[in-house]
Amino acid sequence: MNYADLFRVTLPETALEIAALVVLVADLGFLRKAALNVRASVAALLGIFGCAAALWTMPLQAAGGLVYPGTGEVLLMAGGSAAVAQIGILALTVLTLFLLMDAEFTQHVGEYVAVVLMAAAGGLLIAAAQDLLIIFIGLELLSLGLYILAAFAKRSANSAEAAIKYYLFGGMSAAFLLFGFSYLYGLSGSTNLAQIVAAEQGMHSGAMLTIALVMVAAGLGFKVAAVPFHLWAPDAYEGAPAPAAAFIASVSKVASFALLISVSVAALHIFHGTHGPWSLILAVLATASMVLGNLVALAQVSVRRLLAYSAIAHAGYILLALAYFSDSPTNPSVILYYIVTYGLTTIGAFGVVAVVERSAGSDRLDAFLGLHKRNPALAAILLVLFLSLAGIPPLVGFWAKFNLFAAVLGVAAGAAPFGLVALALAMSAVSLYYYLQVLKRAFVMPAVTETPIVASPLTLAVLMMIAALVVVFGCFPALLQNWIAGFYPSM
Amino acid sequence: MLIQEELAAAFHPSNPCIVSFATRWLWLVPAVPMLASGVIALLKQPRRKPAAALAIGSLGFSLLVSLVAFAHVLSGWMHHEAVRETLSFSWIQVGAAHVELGWVLDPLAAVMMVMVSFVGLLIFIYSVGYMAHDENFTRFFCFLSLFAGAMLGVVIANSLLLLFMCWELVGLTSYLLIGFWYHKPSAAAAAKKAFLTTRVGDIFFLLGMVWLFAQTGTLLFYNYGAGSMEPLALGGLLASPAGLGLSAAGAIGLLIFAGAAGKSGQLPLHVWLPDAMEGPTPVSALIHAATMVAAGVYLIARVYPLMQAGALAGGTTTALTVVTWVGASTALFAALIAVGQNDIKRILAYSTVSQLGYMMAGLGMGGVAVGMFHLITHAFFKALLFMGAGSVIHGCHEEQDVRHMGGLRTAMPVTFVTYAVGMLALSGFPLLFSGFWSKDGILEAAQHWSVAKGPFYMLVFGAILTAFYMTRQVSYVFFGNWRGHGKAHESPAVMTAPLAILAFFAVALGFIGTPAWPWFRAFLNGQAAGLDLARFQEPGLLPLMASSSLAVLVGLGLGWWLYGNKQSRAEEPDVLERAARPVWMGLHGKFFVDELYGATVIAFYAWWARVADWLDRRVWGGAVAGVALLFRGWAHLNRLLDIHWVDGGFDKSCEELASGGGLLARVQNGRVQGYLRLLALGIVILAMILIWSSRG
Repeated sequence: MNYADLFRVTLPETALEIAALVVLVADLGFLRKAALNVRASVAALLGIFGCAAALWTMPLQAAGGLVYPGTGEVLLMAGGSAAVAQIGILALTVLTLFLLMDAEFTQHVGEYVAVVLMAAAGGLLIAAAQDLLIIFIGLELLSLGLYILAAFAKRSANSAEAAIKYYLFGGMSAAFLLFGFSYLYGLSGSTNLAQIVAAEQGMHSGAMLTIALVMVAAGLGFKVAAVPFHLWAPDAYEGAPAPAAAFIASVSKVASFALLISVSVAALHIFHGTHGPWSLILAVLATASMVLGNLVALAQVSVRRLLAYSAIAHAGYILLALAYFSDSPTNPSVILYYIVTYGLTTIGAFGVVAVVERSAGSDRLDAFLGLHKRNPALAAILLVLFLSLAGIPPLVGFWAKFNLFAAVLGVAAGAAPFGLVALALAMSAVSLYYYLQVLKRAFVMPAVTETPIVASPLTLAVLMMIAALVVVFGCFPALLQNWIAGFYPSM
Repeated sequence: MLIQEELAAAFHPSNPCIVSFATRWLWLVPAVPMLASGVIALLKQPRRKPAAALAIGSLGFSLLVSLVAFAHVLSGWMHHEAVRETLSFSWIQVGAAHVELGWVLDPLAAVMMVMVSFVGLLIFIYSVGYMAHDENFTRFFCFLSLFAGAMLGVVIANSLLLLFMCWELVGLTSYLLIGFWYHKPSAAAAAKKAFLTTRVGDIFFLLGMVWLFAQTGTLLFYNYGAGSMEPLALGGLLASPAGLGLSAAGAIGLLIFAGAAGKSGQLPLHVWLPDAMEGPTPVSALIHAATMVAAGVYLIARVYPLMQAGALAGGTTTALTVVTWVGASTALFAALIAVGQNDIKRILAYSTVSQLGYMMAGLGMGGVAVGMFHLITHAFFKALLFMGAGSVIHGCHEEQDVRHMGGLRTAMPVTFVTYAVGMLALSGFPLLFSGFWSKDGILEAAQHWSVAKGPFYMLVFGAILTAFYMTRQVSYVFFGNWRGHGKAHESPAVMTAPLAILAFFAVALGFIGTPAWPWFRAFLNGQAAGLDLARFQEPGLLPLMASSSLAVLVGLGLGWWLYGNKQSRAEEPDVLERAARPVWMGLHGKFFVDELYGATVIAFYAWWARVADWLDRRVWGGAVAGVALLFRGWAHLNRLLDIHWVDGGFDKSCEELASGGGLLARVQNGRVQGYLRLLALGIVILAMILIWSSRG
């Protein structure tokens, strides 16, 4: 192992970092006098080029990833589920950058894009990481970026409050996570997941290991906003600027769940099956998230907070699949399918909310009154996205949920998984209620005002493309599924 | 286009075989007309020319692709290769199970594809003239295009599921087109009847399909040895019994045949087809004569390996025996009814039912090539007859009763000549006309059928009747004196030109299936074909040809003797009616099948609905009312208790809940310190749960 090997595996991350620097130089150096929208477009375009370059370098990564010489233990994966997650991260980053182009919350677009790119690089790292140290570094790179992004609307008190809450919460979880990692290191003498598995396989269910896993679960539960580590999410979703909130809700989720898959695979090997403490922890978190997320969402009057609680609920569904996890090729692919398509839909939802918010001045439910008269295209997009989030066929959300629950029942038989899936289905039905609350205001209830809501053509085009993808992937579920499944040739 | 590329990328990787260019692009054949239909649907009502041009252009393109595919199969055949190329892709994948769709290019599909797109194209062109004055011109072409696309989809499908989807689309467009003039109550009723009757068959078809999937795990017909029509799957089907002495293969075959019988108007589901004549005449020609009704026959030809599974050499199977008897009965039954009809299109409709019976019988006794040959020749001459009838109706100011026509041979010479060609082909006039050769093939198969001789005699008698009722019709329409109102006129060239083209094929097609040069059979079966006049000398062949010719001539002579060139009035009763009134009433009343269904099935449903209504109103309604009364009494009691006991307690608990809500609100109060405390608490609780559970 030398720096050349490291470089070959981290080509996409490198591409993103270079792009971040280029954006800074261009924005701060050459475009100081340019108009804000020009700077925003240039910065976003450069960022998109950076993501494209990262995508382009992915096939050039060293096959098999970065390996300790001699031992064969993998430090950083390349290909497989990591590649799916990384492509998802890059694609979703591109979409959030599109949303930036006509945003007005900041004058510092160059810095914004640079931070987005660096956070995305952190996401790429943790999606591939197989070593506790790299996991932690990647997580911090991602999280620090997210804190900054949440605070980016400097003149907004809400934004600052959201960021400081997010930061304090994140710092505390990172501390727990690091504590858990140090226990794991102490127990096994290694920071490599494969070596930890090898060391722990014989001596399962020691109390120390349980404590360590709880700490790890707390740290990662914070990242995916699982109950009871979710308290930051509603405030952050509500206060952060819309593109930043979309980034937090999509890209960071994909990366964190990819990491959870890696950890779950390791836990699966430690406990020789699904009934270890790790799956119990995840099942508890999943149940709490599904129930609390969906029920509290019912009471929300702010659409952003509603989306936050719905995100908590969705995290619950995915955690359920991770609790009843198996190492077969289908299982991780089903989870990644869910989280990537969820990220896609939720970016679109935040895009629509941002447009409405700018026109109406608030994201209250009543701001959506008569949307289908005020901007029919936007209302149609909202309809597609929210119905997909609720899991209505033939939209992509339906297939994602269907595959996810089918995978749970396929892995584990018995009363507990069956009951939990039944609970998840019941909670999905509950979720339909609050999604329809928004749609009812957009389509059925009488409008207070008829003044049209104007969306810039670019934003509308991006949102339409997202809605179209949601429909197309829903009608042809095999497209994305086969593509994701194609990354698991050997497992 | 993006979707298509991705679809291509999603093709099943387990198909290593390289498929030809023709097969790779075969999907264009149904896709382009469907796309055209979608575009036409978006056009405004007055845009007639673009609508017609789009429909005709798209089907012309389909014909072109079909011809390329046909040429590909033909060149393979000439090099002594049996071409059967398939292309499948996975449509839905759930865990290990996946549902696959795909298309197939083999001689059967190629022949059918060329026929459907060619006849369809001629009928499209003809429709431009026929529908010129209709205000819903664009809607008509939208439906026609959708139909053509769906029908071509049925033809190229390599999966029973894809076939079924297109099959249902075909049924939908048939419904839309029968009811095209929906302001006519009879048309609306006919559309409904067609949809519901074919649905009876489709339910069985669906059952058969689900059973097949459960047994074989695939709905693909051919998949490099793993398809459901290939020996491996068929062996499994034969081995599993299904009761009543049937194997699963036989039972599934019968279920699928029930679907085919619904679509192809076989007894006892034939009742919808004559009523379907309420649609515009091009629709009758395209859908209810040449293509859609033949879909049932095509389906049986497609699943022939299943129908035939388990037959010993020269033997037959239960499924094929049933197909034969149903087909032969239908052929005779419908021919009898056709004798007693007066509506020009209804005569042709019953004749279609009868000929479909011939095709089914041909499939049942002689195999795919015999039935399919009659299907192809029939498509041409029956389309010709329907379009000729349309031309007559057009020229006689929308008159459809043959008694109010007469002597049209001078007023409509082109229509007369082409119609006469079609009529002679349908009657099976010896040697010159295609109908003779294709019907002769069926009769020959019937003669050699080992199970029973009944079908043979039924079919010969049917042939006499066919010649008879067609002579009767032509005599009424083209000979004798003019009995209608106003003055008849010839139709425009856009209508007569397709007639002439079809008339040419009604004659010429016969020569690819004579016993001396059985090219069609050889092509379908993948054998070599050569001209050998000596085959006429096979024992029994010439006598058979002579006797079938005799049957035709007897029918023609009888018809001409009774109806030919008489001067008469429209109100006069029919010759047969004067001779034998009860028989005529039976024939004219279509053997009262509709009335029978009305008195049994429909009456039963009506009675059942009344019973259900009564039960609902009296029994259940009474029970509900009783329960409601009980609860109201209970509620009164409760109210008394409430006021005196519970209210105080309730108020107390409300206060408790309100303060509890305040507590919950204080949790999510936006204060970070509290949040962090909760986080730590969460960890502790989680750890406690775990440690407790590992003890227990």
